Amino acid sequence: MDPVLTPTGEDALLVEFAPEICLEVNRQVRRLAFALEQAAVEGVAEVVPAYRSLMVYFDPARLELPRLEEIVRSHAARAESIVLPPSRLFRIPTVYGGPYGPDLEWVAEAAGMPPAEVARIFAAGRYPVYCLGFLCSLAYLGDVPAPLRLPRRATPRTRVPAGSVGVAGGQAVILPVDQPSGFHYLGRTFVAVYDPRYSPPTPIRPGDWIECPAVEETEARRAEGVYLGELPGASLPGA
Amino acid sequence: MQVFLVRKPGPFTSVQDAGRTGWRRFGIPPSGALDQFAFRAANLLAGNAPDAAVLEITLPGLVLEALAPQVAAVTGADLDARINGAAAPQWTAFSLRRGDVLTFRQRRQGCRAYLAVAGGLDTAVWLGSRSTFAAGKMGSPLRAGDVLESFPPGPDARPGRRVSLSCLPASPAIHRIRVTLGPQDGWFTRRGLQTFLGSVYRLSPQSGRQGFRTEGPVIEAARQADLISDPTPLGAVQVPGDGKPIVLHRDGQSTGGYPKIARVISADLDWFARMMPGDALRFEAVSREEALRLAEAAAENWRAIVRAVEESTPRP
Repeated sequence: MDPVLTPTGEDALLVEFAPEICLEVNRQVRRLAFALEQAAVEGVAEVVPAYRSLMVYFDPARLELPRLEEIVRSHAARAESIVLPPSRLFRIPTVYGGPYGPDLEWVAEAAGMPPAEVARIFAAGRYPVYCLGFLCSLAYLGDVPAPLRLPRRATPRTRVPAGSVGVAGGQAVILPVDQPSGFHYLGRTFVAVYDPRYSPPTPIRPGDWIECPAVEETEARRAEGVYLGELPGASLPGA
Repeated sequence: MQVFLVRKPGPFTSVQDAGRTGWRRFGIPPSGALDQFAFRAANLLAGNAPDAAVLEITLPGLVLEALAPQVAAVTGADLDARINGAAAPQWTAFSLRRGDVLTFRQRRQGCRAYLAVAGGLDTAVWLGSRSTFAAGKMGSPLRAGDVLESFPPGPDARPGRRVSLSCLPASPAIHRIRVTLGPQDGWFTRRGLQTFLGSVYRLSPQSGRQGFRTEGPVIEAARQADLISDPTPLGAVQVPGDGKPIVLHRDGQSTGGYPKIARVISADLDWFARMMPGDALRFEAVSREEALRLAEAAAENWRAIVRAVEESTPRP
């Protein structure tokens, strides 16, 4: 499908694919974003991919909009042939329940199963990273198993600690920093998925995969504060 | 070189520069000075590079003690800056001696002032910028007892460099905020668009560096569904379920799920830094071509100011 192009102000062009959250559409977004980055188009400042759309930021003094639209269309037309860099699997050790998973019992009740089963199902899953965004490299994870798909909290919590692992709808998140959130929190990791002293501030990229295997607190604490990109054995190629 | 001891930090004072670019795809906002005009003027007056780090001073309360003789300049809001109790010049570079106390006593006009010291502030760099982005663990607002350091002053650091007051933007009773419509203006009814462009909105107290909320008539949406989160540029005007526009600013998120009815043109973004809660504004739609023309006019105005300041600089 040809993407729809919509100029957004002076220096941005919104490029939209089909309006749905699905891996194939997301792959189209990532292919086009990757192709534009590889092409290093003169005047393109930044390409920001999301679920099913991407924004191309550019310098209007160096690149005219019609020319940019032409470049985007030509890359989109041969996007099928673009080979994305290999995705990786990150295994993020997570402590489930207790003080670290304040919503585990609630989710268990809503899903009609014991809390340990909720933790087991979630920990056994492998979740694709659709995009990075919001604030501080938040990875938007998807494809959470059906029994754990619940609406967001009616009243968001005003502050949830960094490292908290939560679900809502079919989405999952690992909070990069303390923040308000309406997700249901099942557990917590002590690994730093985000650290602005590193450049880039997260090793996770759209297209990667995430697992949150259950570990005991003492083991989880051994990785406390360690940047995910430097945690031994956390990243596996070719997922 | 140590230049200032922070005696009182004021309600919210942070180090800002031109901002960090190229990190939106990692969910990192640009940050940087909200009032880019006043920010660049402060650096120009202090003889600095245009992107040197300065203090962004939100509302009065800040008290600084000079730890070394230096040249500095205050621009932006008039927060009644004083040196040892005597009025400090605004929009004009001045000298400080060691032990001088610089205070910002009361708000007379505007909301955010900028203090540049000759040489520029030498603070920690995160992802290529010194701009504070506290929510992302990149620095924090000033605290009492902090000591600020600066780089050596440049050759143009001379007291008396000034911007003519006739060059400065004057705050109107109702701020005119020009926007280009889209990308999701089609998510609103014709009547909703008329409300957006025909009403007076007032800045909400729930506003800050991330975004400026407004109070005013509800903009009618044509559809209820939330958008699948997509990229949110600087100046995006989001309309959440309550129908009241929010303008995303320099600490704003890189993605969001609310439809964006419009985007504020670059030439009008600085106004949000100057407005106080309760101040009135009106959104006005312009074409992209007009927005580009206005950006070029603003750039030309800035070049004229730079020439005038260079000509006004006292020669040794």
